[in-house]
Amino acid sequence: MKLTRLRIEQFKQFRQPFEIADFTTGLNLFTGPNEAGKSTIVAAIRAAFFERHRSSSVDDLRPWGDASASPSVELDFTLGATSYRLGKRFLGKKRCELQAGSQHLDGVEAEDHLAELFGFQHAGKGASKAEHWGIPGLLWIQQGSAQELRDPVSHATDHLRSVLNTTLGEIASSSGDEVLAKVEALRNELLTTSTGKPRGAYQQALEQTATLEATLQNLDIDIAAYCDKVDRLATLRREHTADAAEQPWTAFRQQEHAATASLEAIRQVETALQADRQRAGQIASQIPLLRGQLETFVSQEQAVATRKTALESMQQNCLAQDALVGQWQTRALAATTHHDAAREILRLARQEATRREHAKQLDEFKRKRETTADALTRAEAEQAALTALHKQLVETEIDPKDLNTLKTQQSELRELRIRRDTVATRLRFALTDGSRIEIGQESVTGSGDRLLTETTRVTLPGLGQLEITPGGTDLAELGRQEQALSDKHVALLQRLGLASLEAAEARHLSHTQHQAEARTAAATLKALAPKGIEALRAEQAGHDARAGEIEQALARLPFAPENMSERPAVAQAEAEATEASARQSLDQINQQLNEARLAAGNAQTAHESAARELAAAQAVLDAPDRAARQSAANQNLVDARAEQDSLAERIDARARQVAEANPDLLQQDVERFGTSAGQLEKQHAERRDILMRLEVELHTTGAQGLEERRSEVARDLEHVRRRSNELQRRAQALDHLLTLLRDKRAVLTRKLQAPLQKHLNRYLQLLFPHASLDIDETLTPGPLTRPGSHGAEISLFEELSFGAREQMGVISRLAYADLLREADRPTLILLDDALVHSDGARLAQMKRLLFDAATRHQILLFTCHPEKWRDLGVGARSLETLRASNNAG
Amino acid sequence: MIRLLHTADWQIGKCYGQFGPDEAALLAEARFNTVERLAALALERQVDLVLVAGDVFDAQGVSDKTIHRLFHAMRGYAGPWLLIPGNHDAGLAESVWTRAARLTAIPDNVHVCLNAEPLLLETLGVAILPAPLTQRHTYNDLTEWFSGADTLAGMLRIGLAHGSVQGILAEEIDSANPIAAGRAEQARLDYLALGDWHGTKQVDARTWYSGTPEPDRFKANDSGQALLVELAGPGESAVVTPITTGQYLWQSLTMMLQVASDIDQVLSQLADFGQTDVVKLVLSGQTDLAGYRRLQASISQAQGRARCLQADLSALRLEPTDEDIDAIQADGYLGEVIAELRAGQDGAEAELARDALTLLAGILDARRAEAAS
Repeated sequence: MKLTRLRIEQFKQFRQPFEIADFTTGLNLFTGPNEAGKSTIVAAIRAAFFERHRSSSVDDLRPWGDASASPSVELDFTLGATSYRLGKRFLGKKRCELQAGSQHLDGVEAEDHLAELFGFQHAGKGASKAEHWGIPGLLWIQQGSAQELRDPVSHATDHLRSVLNTTLGEIASSSGDEVLAKVEALRNELLTTSTGKPRGAYQQALEQTATLEATLQNLDIDIAAYCDKVDRLATLRREHTADAAEQPWTAFRQQEHAATASLEAIRQVETALQADRQRAGQIASQIPLLRGQLETFVSQEQAVATRKTALESMQQNCLAQDALVGQWQTRALAATTHHDAAREILRLARQEATRREHAKQLDEFKRKRETTADALTRAEAEQAALTALHKQLVETEIDPKDLNTLKTQQSELRELRIRRDTVATRLRFALTDGSRIEIGQESVTGSGDRLLTETTRVTLPGLGQLEITPGGTDLAELGRQEQALSDKHVALLQRLGLASLEAAEARHLSHTQHQAEARTAAATLKALAPKGIEALRAEQAGHDARAGEIEQALARLPFAPENMSERPAVAQAEAEATEASARQSLDQINQQLNEARLAAGNAQTAHESAARELAAAQAVLDAPDRAARQSAANQNLVDARAEQDSLAERIDARARQVAEANPDLLQQDVERFGTSAGQLEKQHAERRDILMRLEVELHTTGAQGLEERRSEVARDLEHVRRRSNELQRRAQALDHLLTLLRDKRAVLTRKLQAPLQKHLNRYLQLLFPHASLDIDETLTPGPLTRPGSHGAEISLFEELSFGAREQMGVISRLAYADLLREADRPTLILLDDALVHSDGARLAQMKRLLFDAATRHQILLFTCHPEKWRDLGVGARSLETLRASNNAG
Repeated sequence: MIRLLHTADWQIGKCYGQFGPDEAALLAEARFNTVERLAALALERQVDLVLVAGDVFDAQGVSDKTIHRLFHAMRGYAGPWLLIPGNHDAGLAESVWTRAARLTAIPDNVHVCLNAEPLLLETLGVAILPAPLTQRHTYNDLTEWFSGADTLAGMLRIGLAHGSVQGILAEEIDSANPIAAGRAEQARLDYLALGDWHGTKQVDARTWYSGTPEPDRFKANDSGQALLVELAGPGESAVVTPITTGQYLWQSLTMMLQVASDIDQVLSQLADFGQTDVVKLVLSGQTDLAGYRRLQASISQAQGRARCLQADLSALRLEPTDEDIDAIQADGYLGEVIAELRAGQDGAEAELARDALTLLAGILDARRAEAAS
C-alpha cells in the first residue's frame, strides 16, 4: 500500500484546507514542534478509517469553537495496481465516498469495504475504540504507546490468524478447538482433571463393583458355611443312627455293675476286718488293766505287812524321844536355880551403886544453891540502883531538838533586837530636873534615851503631846517578828517547864551524867544475872527441888546388907557377867528341851498315823468280796488272752483277702467303666442336641435362599463390572483422544507461528544479537532470551526497560507488517513520536531496522526532534513549512 | 401301552449375569413358564406319568418363594410326577427337597425319589428305579443297583438317573456322577431317562437325555425340548418323540466383516430377530464410518425387538474413508488425529485407538447432525 495524498479541512487544528500530496514510498519523515499538527494528521487518517461518517460522537474532530464546521478528510492511496480515493466528511455534511479503481462505493458500504480490506471493525455505536481497530490499530502507533503491545495484538489476533491460515492453507482445523473442548468435557466427566482419577459415573460403577464383590464374598462365605453344616449334619446323623443301634455304652455299664458288686463284697470284708481290729484293740487295752487289777490285790497285802513294820519302828522312836525330854528337863531345872542366884547378887550390887551416886549429886546441888543465892542478893541490889537511876534519867531528860530550837530562837531574837535598835528612832532626852514627861505610858525624867520603835505619844505635861512616829516601814515589821519569835520562845520554855535557856542546858548536862551511871549499873547486873534475876531465881528454885528429890530417893533406898563389898562398882560388873553366863546356859538348855519335846510329839504323831494306816490296809484285806473279785480278775485275764489270739488269726486271714481283692483297683474299674459309659451317653445326647440345633440353623439359613441371592448378586456384579469396564475403556479412550488432540494442536500452533517467528527473529538479531523470542498462542511476543554472563537470561516482555519495550513494540509491529505483506494485505506504518526513550546506540539500530522495513512498507514518521532522525536517509519535511505553503497556495 | 413325558435340567432359580437385570429377570421367569407348558403338554398328550431326571433346581439355596412357584407351575398336570435330585439339587441331609417338604410345597402327585429303591406304580404296571444323587458329586455309578433289583414280571422297568454316560459324552461335561454305558440293557430296563446334558441326546435304543426344556446358553446343542416316550410293554422297543418346549431361541451370530456387503448381510440377519430371540452378536474385521453408523443403528433397533441382544464389536476395526473424513468435516489437525488413530488400530494399543476413534467419529457425527438441523 502506498498513501499518496492527504487533504484535510475544518479538522481540529486545520481550519483551512491542508494537503500533503507528495508522500513517497518508504520512509516519510515529518518534523515540527509541539502543536504543529503532527498528531492531527495522524488523527485524520485514523478517523477516515475507523469512524463511521454518520457517527455523532466525533465532535472532537471539529476545530475548537467552530460548532458548524464539517471536518473532512480525503485520502488517495494505491493497493497493488488499484488506486483508491477515500473522501469522508463528518458531522455537518456527513458523507463517505470510496473510489476503488473503477468501483465507486458510498456510505456504509464504502466503510465496510475498507474495514474488510484493512482488517478492522467499526464501533456498533459511539466513537470507535481500541478493540475495534484490528490491524491498523497495531501498525499505527500513537504517540507514547509504542511500548504497549499485548492489547493491540489481542485486538488484531483474529485478523492475523486468518492471514496465517491463508498462508498455511488447510492445516488449521475449522472446528478443532470445539471438538477438543467437547472431548475434554467428556473426559472430565469420568476422570478428575488434574490426577486422572475415576469420578462421576465411572467412580460410582467402581464403587458398586466393590460393594457387590464384598457382598458376593460374604454370601460365598455364608454358603460355604451352610454347605459345611449340611455335610456335618449328614455325618452326625450317620454317627447318631449307628450309635443308637449299637449302644456302645451298654457293655461298659455292665462291666461297671460287675465291678461295683465285687467292690461291695470286699467292702463288707473290709468292714468286718475293721470290727475285728477294733475289738483286738479293745482287748489289747483291757489286758493291762486286768493285770493291774491283780497286781493291786498283791500290793494290798504287801502294804499291810509294810505298815506293821512301820508301826513298830514308830513305837520305838516314841520311847527314845520321851527319854531324851526327861534328861533335858533335869538339866533345865539346875540351870534355872543357878541363874536365880546370879540375878540376886546383881540386884544388890546395883542398889549400892545407886546410893553412892545420889549422895554425890546431893552435895553438888547444895553447893550450887549457895552460889546462886549469893548472886541473887547482889543482883537485886544492882537492880534497885538501876531503877532509881532510870527514874532520874526520865526526870532530867530534855529533847536535844528542843534545846537546839531554844538556842536558835535566842540567837534570832538577839539579832532582831539589834536590827530594831538600828532602825528605831532614838529619842534622847535630857530633862530638866524635875521635869517629867511621859513617853508613851512611861513617865521619864532625867536624861536618857529611848528607842522608839512605834508611834509613841510623848506627853509634855503642860505643853501637850508629841506624837513621834518612827520612820521606815521595817521597824514595825521587825517589832512584829520579834514579838512572834519571843512568843514562840516563851511557849517552848513553858512546855519544857523551864525558866530559861540556861536552865535547859543545865538539865541536859545532868541527864547525860545519869545516863552514864545507868549504863554502868546495867553492866554490873548483866554480869551477875546474865539471864535476868528471874532466871536466877528459877535456877535457885530448881536446885532446891533437885536436892529435895535426891534426899527423898536416898531415904527410900533399903539398907545395904552386911556382906556388901566395899567396892560395889566392881561387884556390879562381875555380877552382871555371871548373870549373863547363867542366863545363856539356861537358854541353851531350854532350847534343847524344846527340840526334844517337839521330836517326841512328832514321833507320837507318826506312830498314831502308822497305826491308822495299818488299820485301813487291814480293813481292805478284810473286805468280804475281795477273794471273789481277785478270782474273777484272774479269769478275765485268761479269757482276754484267748480272744486276742483268735482275733489275730481272723484279722490276718481277712487282711489277706482284702489285699488280694485290691479294692482300689476295683474302685477305679467302677469309675472307668462308669465314666466311659457316661461319656458315650453324653456324647450321644450332645450329638442329638447338636443335630437339633444344626437342623434349626439349617432351616433358618435355608429359608434365606442364599444361593439364589448369590446368583442375583453375581448377575448384578457382572452387569456392574461390564459397565465399569465400558466406562474405563471410554475414559481411557477419551483421555487418549484428548492427549492426541492437544499434541496435534500444539504442533499446529507452532507451525502457524513459524512465519511470524521468522520475521521477528530477523529484526531481533539486529537489535539483540543471539537473542530469541517465543510467540504465544495469541501471537504476542513472549519472554525474551538473551545470552548473558551467567548463561541464558530470560526476561518477560513486561520486565524489560521502557526503552527496550518500546523498541520491541516497534520491531514486533514491523514483523506483523512483513507477515501481512506476504499475505498481500495493506500495510501502512505510522510512528508518532516513537522511540524517544531509546539511547543513541539502540536508536541507531532502530534506524537501520526502519530503513530496512521501509524497503517493504510505507512508513510515516512524525517527530519533534528532527536532529535525531537526520541520518535516516530521507529528507525531513517541516509541517510548519507545509502549512505555510498550503496557506500560501 | 405306557406314555410318559421325559424331561430334566429345569435349573429353576438360574440367573443370567451376562444380561442386564431386566432381561435376566425375564429369562429366569421363562423357566417357570416352561414348566407350566410341560404340565400343559402332559395333559394334552394324556401321558401316564412325567419323569424329571434331576437338576430341577439350579441351587439348593433358592428362596421359599421360588420353591412354591415351581410346584405351583406343575399343577397343570395332576398325574404322577417322578423327580430325582441332580448334582445342583442333590438330596443331601438338608436340601432344597427337605425344605420343600417342610414347607409342604410338594403336591401329593409329585414324588421326589430321595432313596435308591424301586418305586412301584402298580396301577400302571410300572416299576421306577431311581438313582438320586445324595452328594454333590459322586464317583460311583449310582445306577449300579438297577441290575440287582428284581421286579415283578410283566412290570415295565424304567430307570431314572442324572449323570454322564461313560465314553459317549464329551469329556468335559460333568464327568463326575458316572453312568455305565449299556446300563439299560444290562439292567433289563425298558427305558432309562437321563438328565444332566442340556441338549437332547439319544444314547442307545432305550437310553435318552431329554435336555433342558428351556435353553440357557448359546451353545447350539439341540436344547429346548422334552421327550414323549411310548412303551408298548416289557421288552418292547421304546418310541421316543422330541417335542419343542423352549420359549426362547438362543442364537450366537459371529461374523467377520470384510467388504461393504458383509454389513448388509449382518443387517438383514439383525432385522429378522424378534421377541423370542436371545442373541449374541460378535463382529470382527473392519468397516468404514458409514458402515459402522449403519451397524449401530441396526443393532440398536434389533435390541428393541429381540428379547436380548448382546453385541460385541470390540474386535471390529474402523477404517474411515476420505469420504467419511469429509463428511464429518475433520479438517486441520482433527484429520491428523484421525489418521493417527486409524494407524494406531494396528499397534500395541489397538483397542484404545479403536475406542478413541469411535468416540471422535461419534462426536464429529453429532456435530454434523447438529449443524445439519
